[in-house]
Amino acid sequence: MKTIREINEKIKKGDAVVVTAEEMIEVVEEMGPKGAAKEVDVVTTGTFGAMCSSGVFLNFGHADPPIKMMRTYLNGVEAYSGLAAVDAYLGAAQPNSDDDIDINYGGAHVIEDLVAGKEIRLVAEGYTTDCYPRKRVSTTITLEDLNQAIMVNPRNCYQTYPAATNSREEKIYTYMGTLLPEYSNINYSGAGQLNPLQNDYNRERKTYNTIGIGTRIFLGGGVGYIIGEGTQHNPEKAFGTLMVKGDLKTMNTKFLRAGTMPNYGCTLYVGIGVPIPVLNEEIAKACAVRDEDIQVPVLDFGVPRRDRPVVAWTNYRDLRKGEINIEIYDSELKRQIEKTVKTASVSSYKKAREVAEELKKWILSGKFTLSEPVAPLGRGSCKPMKAEAKLVRDILSRPPIVARPNISIEEAARILTEKNINHLPIVDREGRLLGIVTSWDIARAVAQNINSICEIMTRRVISSTLDEPIDVVARKMSRYDISGVPVVDSGGKVVGMITAEDLSKLLGYRKF
Amino acid sequence: MKKRIYYWVHEEYRDKPVISKVILETKVMINILMAKMKPQESFLILELSGEERQIQEALNLLKKYGEYEDIPKIIEKNKERCIDCGACVVHCPVNAISQDRDFTIVFNEEECIGCKNCVKICPLKAIEVREVY
Repeated sequence: MKTIREINEKIKKGDAVVVTAEEMIEVVEEMGPKGAAKEVDVVTTGTFGAMCSSGVFLNFGHADPPIKMMRTYLNGVEAYSGLAAVDAYLGAAQPNSDDDIDINYGGAHVIEDLVAGKEIRLVAEGYTTDCYPRKRVSTTITLEDLNQAIMVNPRNCYQTYPAATNSREEKIYTYMGTLLPEYSNINYSGAGQLNPLQNDYNRERKTYNTIGIGTRIFLGGGVGYIIGEGTQHNPEKAFGTLMVKGDLKTMNTKFLRAGTMPNYGCTLYVGIGVPIPVLNEEIAKACAVRDEDIQVPVLDFGVPRRDRPVVAWTNYRDLRKGEINIEIYDSELKRQIEKTVKTASVSSYKKAREVAEELKKWILSGKFTLSEPVAPLGRGSCKPMKAEAKLVRDILSRPPIVARPNISIEEAARILTEKNINHLPIVDREGRLLGIVTSWDIARAVAQNINSICEIMTRRVISSTLDEPIDVVARKMSRYDISGVPVVDSGGKVVGMITAEDLSKLLGYRKF
Repeated sequence: MKKRIYYWVHEEYRDKPVISKVILETKVMINILMAKMKPQESFLILELSGEERQIQEALNLLKKYGEYEDIPKIIEKNKERCIDCGACVVHCPVNAISQDRDFTIVFNEEECIGCKNCVKICPLKAIEVREVY
């Protein structure tokens, strides 16, 4: 048994034994947890990944005449300034206010440029008061010019994270990177055996052994502190998160980097390292966690819902090999088949190692000592939003109006006018979707003297299913520039039609 | 041996089976890595494999119907920007990107065909591919 105070004494004398979490695996293997606890004083951990829930509180100092800044832009990126006159919070995921730049230069990029010492254009507007007569300010600032630039990240350092794949027939762009069609890649994130929370996790009690409020850490190349559990903290399920703070002025771009997930958004890559004091055998044992001990679910991001289906279970060791085998359902063969899928990391294991090594160096040099936490992390909560999911089946009212392909143009026109509709799905004998005819197609047929439905109908129809959220249908309509989608069941049979009018009615009545 | 080239077909031969002719006459193996047929040009990236003599014959023949150029080193990693995450690896169609034992991203310049898939997906914008076509 050791105390943090004793360990700090050793650090100051230059006698402390410090190893990284990777090295600790071997130490525990050789000496056992008891021997390792005796031998090792501190285990350094590290992670380096995209952490969107990051940002910086900035204080600009007062202009003369002074302004109450209400809308604040840094290189075109808005920072929230519904605070005191010259305070603002710049979020990492904020896109540029210039639509042409958008996610290619956002909050994270401003943060990186500030740290790099670059000049940043500041433009702010406010309403005038007796004490703040100025309406607008426009100037250039650097990090040095700011009174404070305090990084406060509400959710960093996820203990583990599900991997992502895509069942759809199209490529999709997600916060887990670009996912190729038909399960062609699996993207994963996380430092696994180097991750701070993994190494501090007490698997029996489902709490953290040493990490608490006030734990001093490595943050973005500078010294930071854990200020509490992060948002969505879920220790019960080994999905802990951290809320951290640090002085941006002490950080460097080696460990703090801006990135853009294509067609998704901008994000900040943050390097975080937490020192774990090896006070006893139990703590030593937890620090021996290996990549293969950490189970990772592979989720299907092709399903645009909150609860994405789990396609497979794997672990960090297998993911890091570059490919894994998963079982998927082949809809053509109508059975489960095994598929070898390439895996790719979207966080950097190499950088995570560098973080753990750097922190180790700091401790060995005596310049970084450990802090006593003032309180343990809170229990956290990670429940879903209380929001109704409106599905296609909820708004589908009348039975489908469909027609067979052998009807005449006149008959089709009559159906559209009598039923007061604009879209007519064309079906086979079993009611399965073959194509669609719109009132515009009929007009074209008349103008061009076409007599057959088959010649005017659209065959590649964008369709929907009963369980699809209407938000997804709305996105399809706008993406493909169409005004209606037939709804089909699992056998391809048409069960209804959703039109832009149906959706706009919902908008008008219920403000969804 | 193996050789990769850029190949532009002369306008008058655009509708002719030039590649088939070269294969039949020289028995060289040709893998078409990319083909772009446009009104203003027809451009291909070819990988020839066979004996040195065979490849030379094939090149001579290709020269009759168009112009070729050796594929220069076109891909470059910006070491300052790259964080060695690995997101690009699976997007390379010719396996020119890999991660070595200490997780550093390595580009095999010889294999790169300049398709730019990796450039498009890199979150850090750390890959530069020279404009060639």
